[in-house]
Amino acid sequence: MNYVKKTLEELGIEPERVEMFNLSSAMGPRFAEIAKEMTEAIMKLGPSPVIC
Amino acid sequence: MIVADRKPIDEILWMVSDCSKILVVGCKGCVTVCNVGGMKEVGILASTLKIARKKEGKPLEVEEKTLERQCDPEYVEQLRDSYDQYDAVVSMACGVGPQFLSEAYPEQRFLPAVNTTFFGGAVQHGMWEERCAGCGTCIIHYYDGMCPIARCSKSIQHGPCGGSAGGKCEIAPDVDCIWDMIVKKKMEQGRLDDLLMIKAAKDWRTARDGGPRKSIREELLKGEE
Repeated sequence: MNYVKKTLEELGIEPERVEMFNLSSAMGPRFAEIAKEMTEAIMKLGPSPVIC
Repeated sequence: MIVADRKPIDEILWMVSDCSKILVVGCKGCVTVCNVGGMKEVGILASTLKIARKKEGKPLEVEEKTLERQCDPEYVEQLRDSYDQYDAVVSMACGVGPQFLSEAYPEQRFLPAVNTTFFGGAVQHGMWEERCAGCGTCIIHYYDGMCPIARCSKSIQHGPCGGSAGGKCEIAPDVDCIWDMIVKKKMEQGRLDDLLMIKAAKDWRTARDGGPRKSIREELLKGEE
């Protein structure tokens, strides 16, 4: 994960766009929480410079 | 094996700045072992280049291939059908690879993606150290299996210099003084007197100093019985 973040940084893309979380498939509420957190983080960062 | 480090991504991007379609070709030899140019690293480099160019608004088409080795004609031959489909080919092999490819396919541009450094081995996962300078006249038997040509900063052959302190070389605090190690080992083995033997000046003609070298094995040449 650190390697990917470093590579993104080298390319001038915010490393916060990529994260790794560890949880089991039984942890539904935590999954929803993470999805919300990441969505908020990404919205703050704005559109990715790499338009897909 | 031959150890190399990948070039900074900026340098590689600059090398392919005028290309719209490239091939990244890896090698399953030394560069795979030192995690710099094998199939996985080819994939990583290809992705990185694609993302970077997409960001610039100048998309790059990147294909990937990994050859068994790039230092034998039969493997280099495997690119015969495809090498000309690209604006350039980026080789992740050691310095030998892009050169062999250039000789086989003179009309194509082969670019090096790695900086080839030394002959060495892994001392721990993720860390490789230089052990051999390729001097052509191996003398490690005089030094209990340690090579002062490769591992002494000055390549001196009869004992440490005045810069050896605390077992370290004067050039940097993390560089061991190989002479400290050799003398200690000789003392442990009770062979310190070996170092009293004065050797003739080294003949450097067998090393890189003598010019580009060849190794010819008559018995293996085609046409020999």
